[in-house]
Amino acid sequence: MLAYVIRRLLHTVLVVFVISLIIFFSIRLTGDPVSVMFSAGEPSKEAIAEVRSNLGLDKPLPVQYGIFLKGMLTFDFGESFRSGMPVGTLIVEKLWATIALALGGIVVAILIAFPVGILSAVKRGSGVDFFGRIFSLIGISFPNFWLGIMLILVFAVNLQWLPSSGFESFKHLILPSITLGMILSGILARLVRSSMLEVLNQQYISTAKSKGISEWAVIIKHAFRNALLPTITFLGLQFGSLLGGTVIVEQVFSWPGVGRLIIDAINQRDYPVIQGGVIFLAVTMVLVNLIVDLSYSLIDPRIRAGRGSK
Amino acid sequence: MKLRGWKVLTTSMALTLLLTACSGGSKEPGTENTSSNGENPASDRGNEVVVGLSSDPQSWDPIDTFLLDWSTVATSVFEGLVERTLDLELKPGLAESWEYLDDSTLEFKLRQGVVFHNGEPFNADAVKFTFDRLLGDEGKKGPQYSNYASIESVEVVDEFTVLMHLKSPDPVLLTKLAGYGAVIVPPKYVQENSDDHFNNNPVGTGPFKMVEYKRDQQSVLEKNEDYWKEGLPKLDKVTFKIIPEASTRLAELQTGKIDIMKRVEVAQADTVKSTDFLELIEVGAPTVYSLRFDTAEEPLGDVRVRQAINYAIDKEAIIEEILGGFGRPISTYQSDLSFGNNPDLEPYPYDVEKAKELLAEAGVAEGTTLEVYIPGNNGTFKELTQAVAFYLEEVGLKLNINSVDSTTLISDLVPNGEAGDMYYQGWGGWTLDYDNTAYLMYHEGEQWNPSFKDEKVEELLAAQRATVDQDEREAIFMELTELLYELAPEVNLYQSVDLYAANDRVENFQPPHEDRMRLEEVSIK
Repeated sequence: MLAYVIRRLLHTVLVVFVISLIIFFSIRLTGDPVSVMFSAGEPSKEAIAEVRSNLGLDKPLPVQYGIFLKGMLTFDFGESFRSGMPVGTLIVEKLWATIALALGGIVVAILIAFPVGILSAVKRGSGVDFFGRIFSLIGISFPNFWLGIMLILVFAVNLQWLPSSGFESFKHLILPSITLGMILSGILARLVRSSMLEVLNQQYISTAKSKGISEWAVIIKHAFRNALLPTITFLGLQFGSLLGGTVIVEQVFSWPGVGRLIIDAINQRDYPVIQGGVIFLAVTMVLVNLIVDLSYSLIDPRIRAGRGSK
Repeated sequence: MKLRGWKVLTTSMALTLLLTACSGGSKEPGTENTSSNGENPASDRGNEVVVGLSSDPQSWDPIDTFLLDWSTVATSVFEGLVERTLDLELKPGLAESWEYLDDSTLEFKLRQGVVFHNGEPFNADAVKFTFDRLLGDEGKKGPQYSNYASIESVEVVDEFTVLMHLKSPDPVLLTKLAGYGAVIVPPKYVQENSDDHFNNNPVGTGPFKMVEYKRDQQSVLEKNEDYWKEGLPKLDKVTFKIIPEASTRLAELQTGKIDIMKRVEVAQADTVKSTDFLELIEVGAPTVYSLRFDTAEEPLGDVRVRQAINYAIDKEAIIEEILGGFGRPISTYQSDLSFGNNPDLEPYPYDVEKAKELLAEAGVAEGTTLEVYIPGNNGTFKELTQAVAFYLEEVGLKLNINSVDSTTLISDLVPNGEAGDMYYQGWGGWTLDYDNTAYLMYHEGEQWNPSFKDEKVEELLAAQRATVDQDEREAIFMELTELLYELAPEVNLYQSVDLYAANDRVENFQPPHEDRMRLEEVSIK
């Protein structure tokens, strides 16, 4: 088990190295941060050259990459061109808001999708199932930009129950979480339904039923627990990508998350922030993946991570 | 039982969404008028105002930035030697008076008894420190330094007198001293604290002091009790909230969470107007838009073709139909706020016959295709370019529209002359003086001028910089504008009009022409 974890962590180092190469050179293909900085005012050629050398952008690319790599070893990603703040500080500042929203979205998705998915599977072919499937379809096809604005109109502007933007209290978390959760729940409900159907056809379910255990006890204790595995994989990976920020939801609800940080940085060609941000995302994704794999053994004692996983 | 409850809940949620989908589908977001009964949801907020902005400048250090949203907030915190009023007049700020001792020496008498928000006294040393920092190594790291390159040094004469030595006469220096890099900073505070600390905790002499800054969320400003202007500011507190999405900003305004909204979109104007407790305020901005020609390449190297395109487009119709009337025609690439604007020049009239004639004279074949580059994130300009394509088709020119990443366009394609035959150009001269715009756009070799060359233009540009006599400069600008009008290096489209919305409870709010919001006279009804 420990050897397995260590091996996976070594993979991470390799992944991060490859990503650092790709991100470093690809963001330098188009655009220029110094020209962007001077897109107002009086950009004389000399001033531009001066700023460029102060930011170290006049050095040859391999040298710049070396500096970036060296900094990365000590978790120092440099300072943002725009704010002058260390990149690490900027990411940490946004992390709480991002985690809160990711969790909120996942919780809403679970609260909606599990009941819908289970009911659809149990009452397969019935009106409930039909409705459940339509619901999933709507969930998947909603543009979350539009959904967010509609929720604001209904719950913030018309009913005035909830605030429409900002990262202040639990109340502020509700609408963005629903927006995010709705989109996720569409896919999740389908997944729950199909895994449940698969399990419900197994013989041990019929056995359990024939033993006289009540229908819902069978569904929840016997069927659902076994159907959970693919769902956990999906949620884990989703959570990982949500930690990378959800640009559109953050934009609509003025949520100060990692997604907006990175997008703004890309628009300004703020190289240190883009580099640090992307490396952060890569590491997060790899770690979440690892945790998901390890969690299988908790849900299903028959699986032991590392054994036979070669 | 529990599951039944869930079923009901999910059903009703889905239904709600479907219903809102049906009722709101055809409308612009935010068009439902909620408070037609006139009840003002912000009425019980105290003596404070909340402003909704679209973006956060990230650093408050004056030498680090050139963002309009910086100046919107920072005008309340920092002050310069000179003050530029909301009506764009220059008047004494931290300097009580100034005088040119000779062509290259400017003497300032400073205001006495002014203190920074941290208690440090404002005096000649603070002025010297500010300019030493701006023009020294620290300033050279940022984009502000080059704006003040005409200043050689600042010399302290006595506690409240300084001399500013100039390398060359700078006719627009005074207006530059009213903002951005030239605002006065407290020497001790800046030296004793780290760079990051000053970025996040700005201290100036302005009417309000910043007491809280949460990046990308909000800045909270409180009244400066020791402000040097008698009886000002009138408000106790001002909060600037960052709300990037325009529909959300409007929702916050409609629910009374904010009192003043910056950057109202044209599509939102009617909603604001139809809400009883809201007011829509428009103000002419210095920003102008055009499609610039690549004059180094045929066919646009031929002035007749450039003029033909100017004749071929009905700019007035475009302003009316696409901008909802929120725009103004321009004759040269500057706004009517700019010193050097020529009021006698009329924009090129819409004249299809004349356009066809000129194109025939120049020998441009019917169906010639022109490449045009525009930023992909600007929906309004895209629509506008499509209208331009329609007009050009009428005179036999085909336009091939390339939507590209705006950063790539501005920082890469345009400076390198790779933005096709025509490209998007949007610019607001911050000094409100044609010098700034004309020099950067038409002087050979400038960042924004990859291709245009004209000897007479160069001559006039140099001449207006050599003198500080404003009458003489104005005469030069009149000649220059006429010349550029004829040479038509671009097709001028419009001057933008900024839209603000304010809650009725806010009194005395006058929107700024150039984003520098002033709130010291604002009060609550």
